[in-house]
Amino acid sequence: MSIGRDGIAGLVLLAISLVLLVKSFQLPSLPIVPVGPGFYPAIVLSFMAAASALLVLQDLMKRAPVAADAPDAPRRNYRLVVIAFAIVGFYVVLLPLLGFRVATVLFVGALQAALGRPRTMRQWAVLAAIALGTAAVSYFVFERYLLVLLPRGAWTGF
Amino acid sequence: MLDLLWHGLVNVAQWKYMLPLFAGTFIGVIGGSLPGVTITMTVIVVLPFTYGLDPLAGLAAMTGVYVGGSTGGLIACCLLGIPGSPASIATTFDGFPMARNGEPGRAIWLGVWASVWGGLLGALFLVFLTGPLAAIALEFGPWEYFSLFVLAMAMVAGLTESSLLKGLLSTAIGLLITVVGHDPIGSVPRFTFGSEFIGGGFPFLPVLIGIFAFAQIMTDLEKLNGPRGQPVESLVGVKLERFSHLKVNLEIFKQPFLLAWATIVGLIIGILPAIGGSASSVMAYDQAKKFSKTPERFGKGHPEGIIASEASNNANVSGSLMTIMAFGIPGDAVTAVMLGAMTIHGIQSGPLFISQNPDLAYGIYAAYILAHPCMLLICVVLMPLMLRVTSVRMAVLAPVVLVLCVVGAYALNNTMQSVYVLLLFGVVGYGLVKLGFPLAPLILGLILGDQIEINLVRAIMTDPNPWLFLTRPISGGLLVATALSVALAIWQHLRHQNRVAEEEPDF
Repeated sequence: MSIGRDGIAGLVLLAISLVLLVKSFQLPSLPIVPVGPGFYPAIVLSFMAAASALLVLQDLMKRAPVAADAPDAPRRNYRLVVIAFAIVGFYVVLLPLLGFRVATVLFVGALQAALGRPRTMRQWAVLAAIALGTAAVSYFVFERYLLVLLPRGAWTGF
Repeated sequence: MLDLLWHGLVNVAQWKYMLPLFAGTFIGVIGGSLPGVTITMTVIVVLPFTYGLDPLAGLAAMTGVYVGGSTGGLIACCLLGIPGSPASIATTFDGFPMARNGEPGRAIWLGVWASVWGGLLGALFLVFLTGPLAAIALEFGPWEYFSLFVLAMAMVAGLTESSLLKGLLSTAIGLLITVVGHDPIGSVPRFTFGSEFIGGGFPFLPVLIGIFAFAQIMTDLEKLNGPRGQPVESLVGVKLERFSHLKVNLEIFKQPFLLAWATIVGLIIGILPAIGGSASSVMAYDQAKKFSKTPERFGKGHPEGIIASEASNNANVSGSLMTIMAFGIPGDAVTAVMLGAMTIHGIQSGPLFISQNPDLAYGIYAAYILAHPCMLLICVVLMPLMLRVTSVRMAVLAPVVLVLCVVGAYALNNTMQSVYVLLLFGVVGYGLVKLGFPLAPLILGLILGDQIEINLVRAIMTDPNPWLFLTRPISGGLLVATALSVALAIWQHLRHQNRVAEEEPDF
C-alpha cells in the first residue's frame, strides 16, 4: 500500500491542524465572554483535522488497487515556474533596497528574458523598452496622479 | 427609488466618475479578451489605481472592469476558439464555428449586443430587487447570518469538480488564515508564535492577490515554451465581414424568451455566492439548448448559443452586485476585491449599506448601467485593435501584471510586509493548485471567516442555547439546505467517480 500526493497533502494538513488545535486549547479564556478566543479556531481546526484524515484514508483506499498515473498528461515547464518565483523573490528583496523604479526595470527585464529569451538586437530593445516603460508609467501614474507612494531604495535613495 | 437612480446616473455622468468608469471598462474589455487573464486578475491589476480615488470613482472603475471583462472574453472565443476569460467559456462552442464559417463579425457582435441587453436587463433586477433582498437580510440575526455563510461555503465546496473533501479542506484553510492574529472580541493574539510579522493577522487583499494572481500566472508559465496552446486555426487579425448591427439586434430580439431566460439564469448564479461567471455561461447555454427548437444546430455556429452564454455572463455581474450590496457577501472573487476596496475606504457593507450610503449604492447601479454603453462604444471604436490584442505574449504580460500586484499589496498601507504576505501566499496558492485543491472555496472562507466568527460568538453571547441555530425558522432552513447541498454533492461525486479527467483550475 503506497501513499499518494493527496495522502501526503492530507497528512501535512492533519499535522498542522492538530498542532494548532493543541495551541487553541492553550489560549486564555476571557472573564465576561461565554466563549474564549480559542472556541472558534477549535471548531475550524477540528473540522480541518477530520477532513484531512478522511483525505488520507480516501487516498490509501484509492491507491490500493492500481496506482495508475496519467502517462499522456501535457508536458509542463516547471523549471520556468521555479525561475519565475526566484525572480519575483529577488524583486521583493531588492525593492526596499534599490527603490521601486530601479528594481522594477530590473525585474520586468529579467522576467521577460527568462520567459522568452530575445534573439535579435531589436527584440532586446523591445524588452528594454517594456521594462523602462512599465517602471516609468507606473511610477508617474501612481506617484504623480494617484498619490500612491511607492518604495524608495535604502541604498539608492531613489 | 427612481429619483435616487436618476440622481445616481446624473452623479456618475460627471467627468470625475465617467473617466474611471470608462478606463475601467476599457481595461476590462482588454483584460477579458486576453486568454490567460481573467476578470479577477484584471480587477486586481486595477485595484491599486483606485486607492487614490474617491470611493465611488474606485468602485465605478471596478464595476467597469467587471462589465467590460464579461464581454471582452468573447473576442478570444470567436477568434481563437479558447475563452478569453472563464466567464465566456460557452461562447466558444458556437462563436468559434460561426467565425470559422466566415462570419466572425456576426459572431462577435451577436455576443457584444447580447451582453449589452443581458446586462441591462440584469440592471432592472439589480435596481428593483436589491432593496427587498436587503430588507430580508435585515430580519437576519447572528444565527441566520452564520447559517447563511455555512450554506454558501458548503455550496461552493460541493461545486468543485475534483473532490468534495478537497473543497471542504480548501474552505477550512481559508477560514484558518482569518483566525491568525488578534481575536475579534478580546484581541487575544492567536497562532502568532510571538512573531511581529503575523501579529496583526494576514491582510486580506495581499492574501487574495497572492493566491489568485500567482496561482494563475505560474500555471500559465508551465505551458510556455512547450507545445503551444494556440490553435492552428487562429483567426487573429482577421478582417470582419460586412454586416448590419440592426440585423444582429433583430436576431437577438426574435427570441425574447431566450434572452430573458439566459439573463435570469445568469442573475441567479450571480446571486449565489462565489459560483461565478463560467457556471452561468455554461448553464445558460445548456438551458438554451434544452429549450431550443433546433438543438442539433448547437455547437456548429448557432446564434442562440452565443446569445445565451453572453447575455447570462453579463447578467451574472448584476447578480453578484446584488449579493454584495444586500448581504455584504461577495458573489465571487471579483466582488471580493471590490469589498476589500470598500473596506479600505471605511465603508461597511451589509444590509444597511443601501440605506446608509444611498449615494454610493445608486452610484454603483448607475456605474453598472452606464458601463454598458461605454463598453459598446469601446467595442465599436477599438474593434480592430482588439482583434489583435488576443495575441499579446505571456512573456510580456506576466511581468507587468506581477508589478501591479506588488504595487497593489504595497500601497495598501505602504509597508513591505504586505508584499511579503503576497509572495508567501503566492507560493501557497500555486502549491494548492498543483495539489488539486480548488481555490474558490478557499477565497470564500477567507472572505467570510471574520464574519462567521463574529456572528457565531454574537449568537452565543445573546443566547447560549445552541439549538437556536436549528429552531429559528430561517436559520434552520438554511442549515437544512446546507445538509442537502452536501448530500447532493456527495451523490454527484459518487456518480461521477469513474470519470477521470484533469480539469483546468477555474479562477
